Amino acid sequence: MTTLTVALKYLRGRFVASALTSVSVALGVSLVIASVLLSRGIQQGFIEGTTDYSLLVGAKGSPTQLVLNIVFRMDVPTPNISYSTYRQLQDDPRVEVAVPVAMGDAYQGCRYVATTGGYFAAYSWRRKTFAISEGRFFRDDPPEQPAYEAVLGADAARRTGLRVGDRFHEGEEMAEYPLTVVGILRSTNSADDRAIFFSLASYWEMNEVSRKTKVKPLTAVLVRPKRMSDLPGLHRGFNITAETQAVFPSAVLLNIFNVLSLVDEVVAIILAFVVLVVLLYLFVSMYSATLERKREIATMRALGARRATILGIVLLESCALAVIGGALGIVGGHGVACLGASMLAGRGGPVANLFVVGALEPIVFGSAVALGALAGLLPAVLAYRTEVAENLAPLS
Amino acid sequence: MRRCLRAWEFERVRATLAASLCLVCANFGLAAYGQAAYGEEVPRLTFAQLVDSIRANFEVTQTMKSFNGKEVEIHGFIVPAGPPDLSFFLLSRVSAMGNYCCEVPVGQDETVHVYAPKGVKILYDPLRVYKVRGAFEAGPYTDPTYGTSLFRVRNARVEEAVGAKIFKVGDTPAPTPSK
Repeated sequence: MTTLTVALKYLRGRFVASALTSVSVALGVSLVIASVLLSRGIQQGFIEGTTDYSLLVGAKGSPTQLVLNIVFRMDVPTPNISYSTYRQLQDDPRVEVAVPVAMGDAYQGCRYVATTGGYFAAYSWRRKTFAISEGRFFRDDPPEQPAYEAVLGADAARRTGLRVGDRFHEGEEMAEYPLTVVGILRSTNSADDRAIFFSLASYWEMNEVSRKTKVKPLTAVLVRPKRMSDLPGLHRGFNITAETQAVFPSAVLLNIFNVLSLVDEVVAIILAFVVLVVLLYLFVSMYSATLERKREIATMRALGARRATILGIVLLESCALAVIGGALGIVGGHGVACLGASMLAGRGGPVANLFVVGALEPIVFGSAVALGALAGLLPAVLAYRTEVAENLAPLS
Repeated sequence: MRRCLRAWEFERVRATLAASLCLVCANFGLAAYGQAAYGEEVPRLTFAQLVDSIRANFEVTQTMKSFNGKEVEIHGFIVPAGPPDLSFFLLSRVSAMGNYCCEVPVGQDETVHVYAPKGVKILYDPLRVYKVRGAFEAGPYTDPTYGTSLFRVRNARVEEAVGAKIFKVGDTPAPTPSK
């Protein structure tokens, strides 16, 4: 009979206690895995879902609100800016591309985004590509002849159940201006999947205020400069005016990451305590098991088992509990992270694919086994030092 | 005899523990060596030197070109013009965020394109000076994604430059000897 077989037999002998210890290790490991995966997934989701445009020009106010609303379709839109801001940017020799965006209400939770065909254009510097899976893009119609054509993001089409040719509107007051679905986009793995796009002309005609005004409103303009070194100048130019602000989307996201890193640090401290509690639980479990079977150990020793073998048995028991708990914890952690990610995604939060094979799982698993060995070390030494004569004395 | 065996086994356990401890110490030692490697002195280029090196037709001096491919250090403000993982950003003499109190933003001559393929993990602050180290390139180059630039740093590593001074055009910093 090998040392491992003896260790496993001992574990089976106190099945309930062993199972509970393994479950506690699994809970600790799954908490670590889920926290790290979710934290990393949210950050990666922001990175992958961000815009390719380097600058965002909108109304004075919160830069975070502007970026979250325009790029990630979260939060409420910032106040309007004038269409002339877009014209000014378009005529600026430093600007390569300027794309106007106007944020509207929503249909069944999918945000209305009014823009031009330029929003979907492919450039050599763009990572994101837009392709139609069904139908076509809407036409850039003239302001006096809005066509009310809409293109749905992949998730928006799935959520609303709308198909090409369907007409829809949200609320009674919009019944006069129903939009017609002319196309459905392929998934871009970004907030654009949850948006409903249509032309600025349609937006201005649907909006009661802009219908009456000569100066048409926009929410923001996405800007790409010809030379990156012109960015700071453009940024400063639109920030020193009283009406507009210019924002680097990446700067806002980096500030969000700074806040998230503080949260991560707090979570890391909590997780360290969780690991400590699990370690103590494993230690107490192994220690009491060793104390309970001092007589058995003494018998084994009397029958010729070496001290090193006894030490090995106890260490193997502890490691086996950590291995089972660690494996269950990794599976459970992925399950919890997946559940959390789907809940976040359902609320419009950016979460990247969590199931990318990385170093996290082997590191956590290895650490769990190492900690298991550490927790079993003292009980193992206790078993190692068990005196045969003392423990084989008659009980009565 | 039994006592002798017991002592030998105990010694074996102690030896295993000592070996583990040595391994941990060796790990710490390697980490400390890594820190020391980063702390090595490399030539520092200033924005004043970059501006002075520019000649007609988008050319730069041979002295500046002699740094091509070499590891250099440049201090400046980060302008996050690329993705938020900072795999690409601009390093500028002037912060892009001081809208009302600082100098007017600089142009191509005082902007360095910085590439960090693995991204950069820092606490970003637009008003803080950062120390960028990496392989330097001088001369006109057009990147398909980030456009034309005069100065670039590739494979960059970034850390906060505590007490750093940004040299204006005309200032004469003490040159750092190249090793």
